Amino acid sequence: MSEASATAQALADQRLKEAYFTASQTQLVWTRFRRQRAAMVAGAVLVVLVLMGLAAPFLSPYDPTIAGRDKDYQFGAPQIPMFCDHNGCSLRPFLHTLERTRSIETNFRWVTKVNPEKRRYVRFFVEGWTYHLFSVELDLPGRAFDLRLRGIELRTHLFGIDEGGIHLFGTDSAGKDIFSRTLHAIWTSLAVGTIGMLISFFLALIIGGVSGYFGGYIDGLLQMITDAVRTVPTIPLFMALAAFVPPEWSAETRFFFISIILGLVGWPTLARRIRTHLLTERNQEYVLAAQLCGASSGHVIRRHLLPSFTSYIIVDLVISFPYMVLSETALSFIGLGLKEPVNSLGVLLQAVTNADVLLNYQWHFIPALFFIALVLAFVFVGDGLRDAADPYSEQHR
Amino acid sequence: MQFAHFVLTRAGMAIVTLLLVSFIVFSLMEMVPGNCAERYLAYKNTQGQGITVEDIEAEEKRLGLDRPFLVRWGSWIGNVFVRGDFGESCILRVRINELLGTKIWISLGICFVALLFAYLIAIPVGIVSATANNPLANNALRFVSYLGLAMPNFLLALMIMLFSTMVFGDSLTGLFSKEYRDAPWSLGKLMDFLSRAWLPIVILGWSATAFALQTVRALMSDELGKLYVTAARARGMYGRRLLWRYPARHALGPIINSLGFDLNRVFNELPIVAVILTLTEAGALLLEALARSNDQQLAGAIIFMLTAAIVALNFFTDLLLSIIDPRMRRSVMGG
Repeated sequence: MSEASATAQALADQRLKEAYFTASQTQLVWTRFRRQRAAMVAGAVLVVLVLMGLAAPFLSPYDPTIAGRDKDYQFGAPQIPMFCDHNGCSLRPFLHTLERTRSIETNFRWVTKVNPEKRRYVRFFVEGWTYHLFSVELDLPGRAFDLRLRGIELRTHLFGIDEGGIHLFGTDSAGKDIFSRTLHAIWTSLAVGTIGMLISFFLALIIGGVSGYFGGYIDGLLQMITDAVRTVPTIPLFMALAAFVPPEWSAETRFFFISIILGLVGWPTLARRIRTHLLTERNQEYVLAAQLCGASSGHVIRRHLLPSFTSYIIVDLVISFPYMVLSETALSFIGLGLKEPVNSLGVLLQAVTNADVLLNYQWHFIPALFFIALVLAFVFVGDGLRDAADPYSEQHR
Repeated sequence: MQFAHFVLTRAGMAIVTLLLVSFIVFSLMEMVPGNCAERYLAYKNTQGQGITVEDIEAEEKRLGLDRPFLVRWGSWIGNVFVRGDFGESCILRVRINELLGTKIWISLGICFVALLFAYLIAIPVGIVSATANNPLANNALRFVSYLGLAMPNFLLALMIMLFSTMVFGDSLTGLFSKEYRDAPWSLGKLMDFLSRAWLPIVILGWSATAFALQTVRALMSDELGKLYVTAARARGMYGRRLLWRYPARHALGPIINSLGFDLNRVFNELPIVAVILTLTEAGALLLEALARSNDQQLAGAIIFMLTAAIVALNFFTDLLLSIIDPRMRRSVMGG
């Protein structure tokens, strides 16, 4: 009996070992990543946020631009749907009716009052404002760059309310729904970050790659330039570049241009890391072995050097992503980045500098929570990926 | 002798970097739409005088704007290097040296102190957290320092302002109180300045601390696993003596090396914090020059001075490192 269980144990052990030794790089990284609880939680948060950004038009009950404003509810407080009130409970969440009154008591100004006797029920999958899924609209200077894809036209939204408005996060000075704006802002921030990231990644790969692979004088020269670019503080550099954007450009063009600027400024750190990595790797035995076998430079770079640091690059990209988002937010916040009607987290937070808003309408801070969650999620996932991609991380512990 | 050679090589490299940076900054200034001459005359236009194309051209000639790009860069950088003269502001029509004067020193001072503050916290806490085997404390620390990264400075500044307005009834903005704003420097003004400068320092230091903490911790835990630490332990060293004399010394090298770039990061946030706290120093002036008035001369001068401070700091940290660690000298001179 015990002998049989011992052999079963040994077999299971062997199978585990076999699985470990035959596992592919991706499987190993995933296994190590899964073991880190903080990174897994952050990953889940990140996925939820990205999905929220993707499905923003479906999830948001109102158009985030001025077209969707609620002119009867400006600077309105957040409305939380409830299930019970003093008249009893209902399974369907509801809000109380708002009534606008004007009388001698209110000094003849319009005042919004809650009427706790009347209920408005929340409905799901309602028809609302029209939006286009997967639509791309580029309106760059010059006709040739214009790109218009209509996508799928839809009108269904996750939730709505019988009559009047439902504003989960309240409304801003113009009556725009902050909940809808926040969802769209997440998407914009992610998009700006991605475009900027791709551009800086491309530049870093070329400059760092050339510098690292050829070495010598080329390396010296390129490093000098990289260091010079790195020495200029980035936000002033962003500000200087963003100051060129002519004020008559449309919001979408501006959005595109800002992403490009973020990319153009962000490459030096990554370029330097790629260079350092290449410099150490190209003297390794396996590269020498490949060269002795008669492999061409192209073959060595593609088949041997690139795979050796793809995991580093991915990790680096994830780690530097939040910096892109932070820079965009800071830039928009001071008024040099994105502008309305494009919604980004920086644009949303701009409203908070107003002393009146700061003191009386604190729900304008709600988008900041999403912003912090987004950056934190990226940082934790990046950290987890770095540990997971490092094959020696297990030996340290 | 060898050390003097090292200092000279390094100084030469610093000057070349500075020249490159000045070229980048100057090209940026050139790319701003419109030039100084147009801006001078645009002002006259608002005063009701009509201006013509000839007027603009004459003004361009007077300012030397009709010369080729490289010549103008040469004369700009020559004036800056030889006489420390940044020329005249396009809009405000004052000498930039007068305009910046003490402001740039205040900005640099705030940034340096913020950096100092960051490392004063980060070094001891980082070292302790790398050695302490307490997963709960470590995770808490990690979370706090990541929060420092995720919470933008301007948000922190706004929160503090909100809090102080509600509790103290004073928004804590500005660098001087009313009675000292235009007064010449005196002891009273200095005390008043210090009583207000702590807020921008703390706000700027907050994210710098978070970043420094991460670096110190990572470097320290790398060094702790090395053989020389085990060897020292085997010789009977223990506790704080071991920690400070062996791994900490090695871990400090890369930190000193990256001080210049840390300063860069602090500078980054200065204009934004300055705007929220309505500080009257160079960061706010830079934003003003870039965002509102498009004053390319002023913006270029400020960016150049900030960058020069970083290059200078890099130079001094390299000297410091080469005194601590002779291997550094070899890496610069290549032999």
